[in-house]
Amino acid sequence: MKLALAEKIWVSVLLSFICNALNAEPVTIQLSFEPDLSNGRNVYEVCAACHLPEGWGNSDGGYPQIAGQHQNVLIQQLLEIRSGLRDNPVMYPFVQERTIGGYQSLVDVVMYISTLPMHPQHRKGPWNDYSDEYRQGQKLFLNLCAGCHGRQAEGNNKILAPKLYGQHFPYLERQIKQIKTGHRTVNPSMKAIFDQQSTANLMLIANYVSYLPVPEDKKAPSINWRNPDFYGQD
Amino acid sequence: MKTKINRRTFLQASVLGASTSFGSSSLLAASPAPVMKSNLFSSPAAIPAAKGPRVVIVGGGWSGLTLAKYLKKNNPAFDVVLLDKNQQFVSCPMSNVWMADQISLEFLTHSYIDAAKNNDYLYLNTTAIELDRVGKKLVTTMGSIAYDYLVLAPGIDYDYKRIGIENPEDEYALRMHHPAGFNSASEMMAIKHKLHNFKGGTLALTVPSGNYRCMAAPYERACMAAAIFKKRNIRAKVLLIDMNPGIRIKARGFKKAFSEYYPDIIQYESSADIKGINLQDRQINTEFDSYGFDDALIYPPVRAASIIEQFGLSDEASLQQEAKTDPFKYHLLDDEHVYVTGDSRSQPFSKSGNTANSEARYVAEVISAHAAGKEIDWRSPQTMCFSGVKIDPLESMSIIAFYNYDELQKSFAFDRSHVIEKWSEKAGQAGLAWAEGMYKDMFYS
Repeated sequence: MKLALAEKIWVSVLLSFICNALNAEPVTIQLSFEPDLSNGRNVYEVCAACHLPEGWGNSDGGYPQIAGQHQNVLIQQLLEIRSGLRDNPVMYPFVQERTIGGYQSLVDVVMYISTLPMHPQHRKGPWNDYSDEYRQGQKLFLNLCAGCHGRQAEGNNKILAPKLYGQHFPYLERQIKQIKTGHRTVNPSMKAIFDQQSTANLMLIANYVSYLPVPEDKKAPSINWRNPDFYGQD
Repeated sequence: MKTKINRRTFLQASVLGASTSFGSSSLLAASPAPVMKSNLFSSPAAIPAAKGPRVVIVGGGWSGLTLAKYLKKNNPAFDVVLLDKNQQFVSCPMSNVWMADQISLEFLTHSYIDAAKNNDYLYLNTTAIELDRVGKKLVTTMGSIAYDYLVLAPGIDYDYKRIGIENPEDEYALRMHHPAGFNSASEMMAIKHKLHNFKGGTLALTVPSGNYRCMAAPYERACMAAAIFKKRNIRAKVLLIDMNPGIRIKARGFKKAFSEYYPDIIQYESSADIKGINLQDRQINTEFDSYGFDDALIYPPVRAASIIEQFGLSDEASLQQEAKTDPFKYHLLDDEHVYVTGDSRSQPFSKSGNTANSEARYVAEVISAHAAGKEIDWRSPQTMCFSGVKIDPLESMSIIAFYNYDELQKSFAFDRSHVIEKWSEKAGQAGLAWAEGMYKDMFYS
């Protein structure tokens, strides 16, 4: 895939080390890497079998769409799954250093993933935009979520808020259940909202989010688009 | 086959002789044999009492292990019991790359004790022998176990009749001398020994027809065998005899791998309708041809494990003796408390580890929902597999595929499949990571 990258983009990896035995203050270091897109494409072969060469995941929600996601969000999830903080036994070995590589490889691959065009017809929720449920979800979203995730659910790379538009509804649904049952941990402000809201309300929000448009320039031209990095050049 | 007729005639004669001598034996009449009691094992098994609705799972393969874990995880009130006749788990997926020394046997081998302990269910090393669906009781070699739900996930058996092997002598000889390697660790080990001690000449591998276990594996095994011979620097040919009209899966990739890496080693023959195997002359006979070999790995077509038939659940119309089940909910059509999953299922899904794992996660939800008087939406299993084509380092291809139900055909078909036939070292590593993730899911988390 050809990408015009006019300027150098630096991706940082923030690491915190806490040593309980010494009862010491956590040590935070920041490492910066210059992403190498072409290596990112190679590293992505580790991911492609499940997340698909296009990064579109599966509309059943088994695998999320990762194409077009913010780099910092991706790298945080990779590191949390690597450390076991986010419990995902099936993905765990893929993100270990022995498989996917070190921090440079992670930086390269998240850069590559963030540049992939998104699924033009992701799976939406059950209540369309004429329904009461849609409007209830809209109201809840704008009140509770838009502050961090943005009014269009475009997310925010700087504050690690994931882009939510374009995500398959069943994946959002599954994550809501996992967070609600304590199988997935989230940051304290998210946790506060989840504790306060019923699962039914959270589903209304996910439904609304699934109807938010994916910007035209972020979408693949059709559902038949296939990632040329993986197909048809041999 | 002349030898077959001779042997059968001989056998018939000897059976006749035996019965005559039995009849005249006064010794036998004097000491009556103990009467076979069908209730020999029917007293309750000495196991911990059920602490909630009991779900008994027969078969600790990919399906049974995943079901046991997720049944308990989704519904902690369930009392889950997993039965397996083996004392440890040895993974069939990845065994081809183990044969080529890319991973160790420890990588493939896992403990049922770890799985049961880490996931809070009971594991019993036993064999199921009788099913009483009216009394909701399963009879095992340890005694009987009452169930609220029963899941049969016993896997496959080979069906040698479909390659013209009719008598037990020939079938036994094939099982011992030319094992298929898709149903037990002993078969896999015997094959590895063969590949590493092959003296040269022609090694024949057969690919069965029908929905056999692990569609890509025979082609992958041809690559691994060829790679081993190449590394050992022996003059050998891998003769891949396929009962199908062409390579069943990842066809472009495998063809390319055969010609790019093993052009002088792998010879591929398609549409071979195998009608019999002559063990004396070492020949595989098809309708029109016969192929000679120095050694062979014969993979016959498969069927649902024979326990399905022994329990009287086989559908007579099913070529592979599968049970009649609800295609979306997996229970018997006349019994919502007995389920059939994994490679003995009746749905035409690919018989692979990832299919069984993803299916079992869904069926665990189906059973939890049933217990709560609810229903859940059907979702497709995911068939995903990695196939090694080259070793040192391992290079692999991959596929992921989903299914949908065709209302007109009243059957399932591939909905969409994504094949990555450009093999790579990264995909080789991803394949190992996939297996490790699955073992972690089933045993250690």
